[in-house]
Amino acid sequence: MSGAVQIGWNQLALALGFVLLAGGASLWLKLGLGRDLIVGTVRTFAQLFLMGYVLVYIFALSRPWLVLVVFAGMIFFAGRIVAGRVKGKGVPVFWPVFLSMLLSYMVVSFLVTGVVVQADPWWEPRYFLPLGGMVVGNSMNAMALALERLFGEMTNRREEVETLLCLGAEPNEATSSIFADSVRAGMIPSINSMMGVGLVFIPGMMTGQILAGADPLLAIKYQIVVMLMLVGSTTLGSVLAVSLARRRLFTPAAQLRPLSPPKPKVH
Amino acid sequence: MISLEEVSWDAPDGKPVLSDATFSLAGGELAWLSGPSGGGKSSLLRLINRLAEPKSGSIFFAGKPLSSYDPPALRRRVALLPQTPVMLAGSVGSNLRRPFSFKVAHGQAPPERDRLEQLLAGLGLGELALDQEAGGLSLGQKQRVALARLLLLEPEVLLLDEPVSALDPESRDLVERTAVAQAAAGRAVLMVSHQAPQYSGPLRSLVLRGGVIRQRP
Repeated sequence: MSGAVQIGWNQLALALGFVLLAGGASLWLKLGLGRDLIVGTVRTFAQLFLMGYVLVYIFALSRPWLVLVVFAGMIFFAGRIVAGRVKGKGVPVFWPVFLSMLLSYMVVSFLVTGVVVQADPWWEPRYFLPLGGMVVGNSMNAMALALERLFGEMTNRREEVETLLCLGAEPNEATSSIFADSVRAGMIPSINSMMGVGLVFIPGMMTGQILAGADPLLAIKYQIVVMLMLVGSTTLGSVLAVSLARRRLFTPAAQLRPLSPPKPKVH
Repeated sequence: MISLEEVSWDAPDGKPVLSDATFSLAGGELAWLSGPSGGGKSSLLRLINRLAEPKSGSIFFAGKPLSSYDPPALRRRVALLPQTPVMLAGSVGSNLRRPFSFKVAHGQAPPERDRLEQLLAGLGLGELALDQEAGGLSLGQKQRVALARLLLLEPEVLLLDEPVSALDPESRDLVERTAVAQAAAGRAVLMVSHQAPQYSGPLRSLVLRGGVIRQRP
């Protein structure tokens, strides 16, 4: 490693110019995004510096329980974000989301650090947290897409589902094609990323490693592992979350619960 | 075969729809239920099919409360034809055979081609090919394919929600005759319709008004 060029406070301040540009555009075009830009910028600084200090502390202490608590905390916030995106349909989904994330991301992160990368010990924070964080960050979008599709389809195809129930279908049978559509919606972005990676974009992690002075070939190997683990984690996470959320849409007597109509997206 | 005792039900928005609805229907009986739009006729059928749960009161099928049956098995014995006929993706034939792929139909052989063609012809759909896409049918054709799909289950109770609303007088007559034949075969048939049946044989006329079911004078 040759080491990265240091970024000083003045240079960070210079980068704020990009936000000023966006703020200017918001004012000029009356986009009404000024407040969001300010809050977003402050949160970017605060959250990342906080994460940086937490990581320095955790790396120094190097305790497995602490690594797992931090990981569970990351999943908790991801779960809240996903549940927030699909809220308003009358069915709470935080727990299905949190449990599916905890289970699937934990399994994938363990396999990647312990079996593929062979970090010793497997919870070595320098490997487990960044890799696990990438699993959480990327897969949570997949889960949100899958659940949004599930609720959207269940609202739009309510009559079809009830017709199948009337014909003696169990809830799983009445929703089998909606289930498949929802899981597919969650998996497609990570599969598309595999198609475009290296041609259309250079992934963030690889960029970071290369900027930090790593050998590009080593960065590529890590990136391949990341891409493949994302396919696994989005699949596991989407299947689990959609299964658990689907159960909540029916009563024990196999009746479809009322759902609120989908609201227009604001994000 | 079916009896309701003081059944009340509120819409999801809390508006009371049925209040103390009481009536019974025996095997072999054909009943026509009418009443103002939004008066709860469809909701009543959904309660009997257990797609929804009453707020209070009890519903019995063959002397036992609905809750004592496994819901998918109950829905095949007390079968509901919803107001909007929904065709599943695929052909007319696959629509008719689909209910035989469910877990509840374990051990039941799907109906043969001849049986399907005969059933469709009896409903005035002799011109339909079984491999024709079901999505492209007219509303009236969909209504009758949906009825055929239900009849294949050989239910003991038939709940028909506006089964003739999109039909011409000739097809309407065929559907009504089918309902009469089903009752003659010992089934209890409850038909919801805005229009009085053209049929002139024995018929029990019920009206649902103000949440209560009464015999039509």
